Amino acid sequence: MKRASLAALLGLFAVAAGAHPAPNSMLRLDFQAQAVLAEYWVPESELAYARAVDPGGEFPAYLLRHLAAETRDGKPWRVTVGAVREAQYLDHPYRVAVLRFAPPAGAPTKDFVLIDDVITHEVRNHVVFVSARRGQGFELLGALQYPAHRLPVAAPATVAQSR
Amino acid sequence: MRMNWTLPLLLTLAAITPDPTKAAESAACLAANGGKGDAKPIVEALAAFKPLLNEQQQKSLEHPFDYDSAIRWSNLPLGVVPRNGLRLGDLDAKQAAAARRVFDAALSACGLKLLDEIRLADDWLTTYDKRPIGWSGGNYFLTVLGTPDTKSPWMLQIGGHHLAYNFTFNGHAPGATPLFFGTEPIRFEIKGASYAPLDAQSGAMSRLAAAIAPLPQAKLSGTFTDVVKGVVVSGVPSQLPTGGTDTGFPQTYPTGEQDRGVKVGSLPPDQRRLVRQAIESFASFPGKSISAPLLESYLDPKNLDATFVGLSGDPQLGAKGSYVRIDGPRVWMELVVQPAVAHPEDLHYHALWRDKHSDYGGEIHK
Repeated sequence: MKRASLAALLGLFAVAAGAHPAPNSMLRLDFQAQAVLAEYWVPESELAYARAVDPGGEFPAYLLRHLAAETRDGKPWRVTVGAVREAQYLDHPYRVAVLRFAPPAGAPTKDFVLIDDVITHEVRNHVVFVSARRGQGFELLGALQYPAHRLPVAAPATVAQSR
Repeated sequence: MRMNWTLPLLLTLAAITPDPTKAAESAACLAANGGKGDAKPIVEALAAFKPLLNEQQQKSLEHPFDYDSAIRWSNLPLGVVPRNGLRLGDLDAKQAAAARRVFDAALSACGLKLLDEIRLADDWLTTYDKRPIGWSGGNYFLTVLGTPDTKSPWMLQIGGHHLAYNFTFNGHAPGATPLFFGTEPIRFEIKGASYAPLDAQSGAMSRLAAAIAPLPQAKLSGTFTDVVKGVVVSGVPSQLPTGGTDTGFPQTYPTGEQDRGVKVGSLPPDQRRLVRQAIESFASFPGKSISAPLLESYLDPKNLDATFVGLSGDPQLGAKGSYVRIDGPRVWMELVVQPAVAHPEDLHYHALWRDKHSDYGGEIHK
């Protein structure tokens, strides 16, 4: 699809998706050799409900209270939050955090268990879609909705780790 | 460009809380003769309809009965989720009359009334919100999945932005669900006639919520900004969004007794009656041959006793985030109050009926 027509179609979707007042979150993983890098797209409207019941600290601190990772046998990964920016997606304002998931010494980066109740600890209909980079695009790995907060994730099988 | 909102806003704000008089009017369709939902007359009506369509229209009408086609319903307008099926707004008068005979055979009087009024609500929105979202009573669709007959499984889908009828015939189990319905605005007037499409359901849920609200265990934790088991849009920024259909099927449901509300078995008879009325109001749309076996199961005393009812927010359903849920051994019914889309200071309803055992007649597998 040509860039101009994609942009036009996205514009239409943006206007139309604004018709949906309960946007969901997107966690986009990029499995690399040393760590898993990620972007977490969190809709401001739903975040406000979550922060109303858990207002402490800045956004990175909130994320770290509700986000963790561990190996399949329970060894914790190290999660850090980098830059945070504001963005729009489909007519909704989002907050976007850059994350890094680092495995414990000796553990591979190709899979881990995501432990995540960002927003879902409060908003019962909210869904976090977890996807992983595959080539130029992303592949959906799974989704989390209350009360589920654990999701085993793995690098898409047919794609070599990018770096 | 949006038009002046003063009049419609006043109309709707004046009547957000369910009106018992209107609810009684809405419930009057329960006593009316409607379609029974038997497969045979629906098959016959479809057989009479199809020859009136050209080749392209027939292709639009018919799709395979498989997972991808079955889950392709939504509570989102056409601009977000294009629908399969034959667009009702494109039918000529003869075709529309024949399509109507299909609806007459499949839907109860309440179901037909809901279809008509939800389409009118979408027409009402086009008057006041000119954004290219896809509002329009014409943007409702008729779709047949599989081959309609009286023995093998097939599906009839009728729906659009705020309505999704998904009826499965000859399936493993009775197939009335998933059944999504909503309305924006909650009340409106067209040509001097007033409409409140969900008054019977919102009224029944509100009366139930008000009755159980004093019970601490009836309060559900958390915040509700939409129905919980509905459709969702997923996506990757810079790429076209996906989803917006029933990709969550098969759903998982709460288990145990925590945070599900109060058990109906513990309620006094007058409150149990309110639960029954709420269930019956949600199940009133398909013809009785479709809904009766399900109602019989939901209202079986043992099952009803094991059903939970819970609420969040305002029991009168007068504020966004207000939510009522019926969660039984197989029934799942929920209604939420959201901000209106065309005018965010106003409100609108989303409601969903699912059956934990027989969505899509038990015929669809991922």
